[in-house]
Amino acid sequence: MATQRALPVLDEQPDRWEAQLRKGVLEMAALASLWQGRLYGLEIIRFLESHSQLILAEGTIYPILNRLKAEGLLTSEWVEAEAGHPRKYYSLSDAGRQRLRLMTEAWSSFANGVSRLLEPVFHAAEKDLSAGTPILERQEKQ
Amino acid sequence: MTVEVQIESYLTALRLHLGSLTIVEREEIVREINAHIRDSAEQSGSSVEAVLARLGPADELAKQYRDGYLIRKSSRSISPLVLLRGALRLATKSVFGIFVFACGLFGYSSGAGLLVVAFAKTIAPAHTGYWVQDGRMVGAGAFEFGHPAQAHEVLGMWIIPLTLTLGSLLLLLTNYLIRTSLRVSQHWQSKL
Repeated sequence: MATQRALPVLDEQPDRWEAQLRKGVLEMAALASLWQGRLYGLEIIRFLESHSQLILAEGTIYPILNRLKAEGLLTSEWVEAEAGHPRKYYSLSDAGRQRLRLMTEAWSSFANGVSRLLEPVFHAAEKDLSAGTPILERQEKQ
Repeated sequence: MTVEVQIESYLTALRLHLGSLTIVEREEIVREINAHIRDSAEQSGSSVEAVLARLGPADELAKQYRDGYLIRKSSRSISPLVLLRGALRLATKSVFGIFVFACGLFGYSSGAGLLVVAFAKTIAPAHTGYWVQDGRMVGAGAFEFGHPAQAHEVLGMWIIPLTLTLGSLLLLLTNYLIRTSLRVSQHWQSKL
């Protein structure tokens, strides 16, 4: 009984938290996807999926691109394609490059700090895995 | 439903829900989403239905555009009405927004009240002022009939420049406060 009650909490909470986490870095990720050159919306989505499994729903990226452009961090241009319809390509503006550099600095010091903090947990989890004991069961026993 | 009808009805709904944006911005968004639907269906080989499902409902998508737009637009405005609308939108999102909206409402109404006093002094000078009795304030404001007979008014015509200045300052300060809060919130919002 205890297992049945506890499991949904353990299953759902990290999911929702993870979704928030992904959403939080989406702006930085969108800027980062354009670091090497211009892309159109769907290419940005594919880029983020293949590099970081970062997309929540396809619709989320477009309003973000729209806002980044309004803030002057991105520029856009319509380019005719063989597909028969033009595509809207985005590029980083100078301000966008600058912002992304600052974000990268902040992110890496933040991520390093958090990693150090989580190191003991990480090692414990690894040990559990190699011992063949699922973390959930261990927590149940305690 | 044919593919074209499916796409068109999605775009029509999107256009409808983007009503508050300018026509140029709206059409640009619709054009981009149109290209996305066609590209996505073609490149992933999935049906238009599946692509539309991945995009989410048109009204949800429009809402994400509209929220950013209203707050952005009002943060550039100097009109108290537009600013208050922006603050109201912010209030639906966070406790900070509720606080900004309440301060805005208080600031604007107090500022306007002071201006009303200045105006009232010109049409009802005997009943507008700041009354003092034995060193204590016993009445202040416009069209004031409730103060005791022994009380005397201390400001005279000075109340006009005084309330005009204070009222205008308060209105400007409130404008500044809301605009700044809306700008700051845009950065928060993009990180939430």
